[in-house]
Amino acid sequence: MGEASEPLVKIFGVLDISAEVVTMFAILVIVAAISLVVTRNLKERPGRFQNLIEWGVEYLDGFFSDILGKERARKYIPFLGSLFIFILFANYSGLIPGVGIFKYLKAPTSSLSVTLGLSLCAFLFIQISAVRAGAKHYIKHFLTPIVPLLLLDELIKPASLALRLFGNIFGEETVMENLYHILPIGAPMIMMALSIIFCAIQAMVYTMLTASYLQEFIED
Amino acid sequence: MTQSAIYALAAALAIALSTMFPALGQGKAAKAALESIARQPSAAKDIRSTLLLSLALMEALTIYGLLIAFMLMGKID
Repeated sequence: MGEASEPLVKIFGVLDISAEVVTMFAILVIVAAISLVVTRNLKERPGRFQNLIEWGVEYLDGFFSDILGKERARKYIPFLGSLFIFILFANYSGLIPGVGIFKYLKAPTSSLSVTLGLSLCAFLFIQISAVRAGAKHYIKHFLTPIVPLLLLDELIKPASLALRLFGNIFGEETVMENLYHILPIGAPMIMMALSIIFCAIQAMVYTMLTASYLQEFIED
Repeated sequence: MTQSAIYALAAALAIALSTMFPALGQGKAAKAALESIARQPSAAKDIRSTLLLSLALMEALTIYGLLIAFMLMGKID
């Protein structure tokens, strides 16, 4: 359970290309294409499409400013924002009809390997940013009699992030699959409607928790 | 009871128990948040994000139960 699906193309048994990888690259291309098209000719007075994206970016900025503070949010938004956008697209990709049933496409976040990879990035990001924000403060954080527990905590946090995201998306996919077997037309729609909300919340929670774990280190 | 029956029962218990108790906790958290929003509507924004965070942390327990249930269901022949 939770392993990547059957490899489609085998490359030395290490770099196998599975359905998740295909979907992730599709997401990558789509997000990059949107970004390129929008930033091609930026106008002082935004058009319809630019306005939408600007609203999204402003929302993200406000969202992280609430947790980290205005200046720090600006500093860390390149990573946190990308994380949010990627997870959002990855979660929503599972809602496209055929993804998960068709052999070449599968929601990336419904595989534990992908979410653990994301968590590894988040873990490295938190630790490195915390050290760079103030090494003295970072070391002082660990100078207590309960050091082993604190160190364990640092490892458990990203693991629980990964498990939460994976569990939610995998659970949704499984429920939808079962509903599909009961009644192929109509029944999965109930879960899909709920998933529209849950997918966004999961992406939000993941980045929110990453930001607040970072906040624990760098607050004065 | 056969081996499969025990696995089935364990899976049912795993998901049932891990849904019941986090649900109680989430209810309590939502109740407190709603009360404080009603008392102080200007703080609604802060309360909402904190509520969402704590609900997600509680939801994680249910998800762990769900995963265990799926794992056990895989063992039923």
